[in-house]
Order: sequence, then C-alpha cells, then structure tokens
Amino acid sequence: MSPALDPGYLLLAVVLSFVGNDLWRVLGVVLSARLDEDSGLFAWVRMVATALVAGLVAKLILAPAGGLALAPLWLRLAAVGCGLAAYGVSRRSLTVGVAVGEAALIAGVAALDI
Amino acid sequence: MSGEGDLDVVDASGRSDLDWALKGAVAAVNTPGIVLFLSFLGFGAMTHDFGWPLWIAVLSTALIWAAPAQVVLAGALANGAGLLGAALAVTVSGVRLLPMVVALLPVLRSERTSLGARLLAAHYVAVTAWFEGLRLTPTLPRTARMPFFFGLANALVVGSSIATAIGHAAAGVLPSALSIGLLGLTPLYFLLSLERGAKSLGERVALGLGLALAPVIGLVAPASDILWTGVIGGTAGFLVQRAADKRRRP
Repeated sequence: MSPALDPGYLLLAVVLSFVGNDLWRVLGVVLSARLDEDSGLFAWVRMVATALVAGLVAKLILAPAGGLALAPLWLRLAAVGCGLAAYGVSRRSLTVGVAVGEAALIAGVAALDI
Repeated sequence: MSGEGDLDVVDASGRSDLDWALKGAVAAVNTPGIVLFLSFLGFGAMTHDFGWPLWIAVLSTALIWAAPAQVVLAGALANGAGLLGAALAVTVSGVRLLPMVVALLPVLRSERTSLGARLLAAHYVAVTAWFEGLRLTPTLPRTARMPFFFGLANALVVGSSIATAIGHAAAGVLPSALSIGLLGLTPLYFLLSLERGAKSLGERVALGLGLALAPVIGLVAPASDILWTGVIGGTAGFLVQRAADKRRRP
C-alpha cells in the first residue's frame, strides 16, 4: 500500500482540507459586513480559483489517473465536445450538457467494447 | 433565539422553524440538487478508483462539503503532491467560497441570528447550496430564511453523502461503460459549471488559460502544476480584466 492510500494519512488529508476550506467560510462571516466585493484583491483571488479548478478539469480529461484513462483520448474529447455543444444549444442547461456528454462517453465505451 | 416576541414574527405565516426547514429540504430535490448528487456519484467512483476507503470518501463529502476542493484533494494526492501540497491546493481552491458567504449571509440573517448560526450557515455554502439559497430565500419572510436554508443545505449534504457512498460502491461492480461514465461526470459537470459561472472577460481568460496551461505546466512541475496554473491563469485573467475596465472608463 502506498503511503497516499493509508487511511490515517487520508483522514489527516481530509481534516486538513476541511480546515483550509472552512477558513474562507469563517473569514467570509468575519468580513461580510465590511468587505468590498468589487475590490481588486477579491477579483484576483476569484480568478486564481477559477483557473485552478479549470486546470484540474483539463488534467482529469486529458491525463486521468484512473479508469477514465481506459477511454481513448479522442473519445474523452468527443464526449466533452458533445456535452459543450448540447449545453450551448440548450441555452446553457447544465442538465442537458452533462446528460448528452455522459451519453456520448458511455455509448462510445460500449461501442468500443472496452 | 432571543425571546418569545421573535417567535410571533416567525409565526406571522403560521409556520414554525421546523416547517420551513422541511420546505427547504424538499426544495433540495430539484434539477440543481440532482445534478449535484450525480456529480458526487462520480466523485465516489473516482475515490474508489484512487483506492480511498468508502468511509473516507463519505467523510470528505460531509466534512469538506465542496466538490471542487474534494476533487482537488483526490487529484493532488493521486499525482503525488504530498499532504501539505494537497492541503495548500485545496485551500487555494476554497477562496471562491469567501465572496459567496459575503453575498449570501446578508440575505439569510435576521435580528435573532446568532454568530453560531451564521458560522454554520457559512459552512454549508458551496456552489449549489449557495445558488439555490440565493434563488429561493429572498421571497420568504426574513425569519424563515435561515431555517429554510438549513433544511435545504442539510438535505443536499445528506443526499450528496449517500451519492458518494453509492458511487464508491458501484464503481467496482458496474459494467465498465457505466463506471467509466461515472468517472467522466465530475470533469464534465465542473467544466460546464465553470463556464456558466465565468461572467466577466477576465474570468473567461482565467478559465481558458487554466484549461490550456495545466497540461503544459504538468510537464515541468507535475506535483505543483495545479497551483501554478491557478496563479498564472488567474493573474492573467485579472490583468486582462483591469485593462478592459480601464479602456471602458479611463
């Protein structure tokens, strides 16, 4: 078992993440009365967070660590493309976009008999 | 709760706090809630794939309660980022919660809301609970909003925790087409939510650069690539936005 899979290690990772994440929620309570939501610092941190999560999404699609890698890259990209297209034509419906992208991915994997 | 007089205000509509909480819980079973449950199904499957025990996966949903943070954590650990690197990446991803708390609390609180209740409400703030809270509570009597939100948020947490457990358990036994489909849910849902949340030009630049930079930076710094992607993409988005704002009103 690699150290990253030890339950004690994972538990510590989850608790540390809880603390790091809730830090912002507590700060939000403290600052809610006086923080200017339009300030520059605020806009910057929000954009850093957006780019960070976007980077993660790209890694999950292009170089997944687990079973998603069994689907070939072209199929993963095609499924995302179908989802984005359906999301676009449905006037930005998350439900439709996710459903169509998923259907494409599942159908593709089934057709390739992976 | 500060006194009996306040209860009369709540009861102006003839409903108790519990009634409002139940109404909030029922409101959780709606399209945004269902998409959220599906994405936690995907997260559960992903943690199974990364070798997490089921109880750790469910605990992470119940305790951290922010899907992006949980996916960042799982992804960072799987990439060998180490405990501190992973926690740091999670902490950076949580920044977006701060403005959400700041925007929601003034809507929810009434004169009888204690600091403890405000802290608890802030803990429940995550994309779906926040969006639904802002959408549904403003039309309610002020004193009904906090109990309604607690009902809504708790139902979302419970449903998401159950979904995490089901996703984890199902990942090993489903036909491979379906389990691979479950693993694809999270990136797909995040990508579309990010697109829907990115309203300004700067946020769109941050989103696009984040997508484009991560694979490139991953070649140079595989353990800290997500952090660097965030800082570079976010700073670029911020500078573009500032330049655009300056041009509009010099």
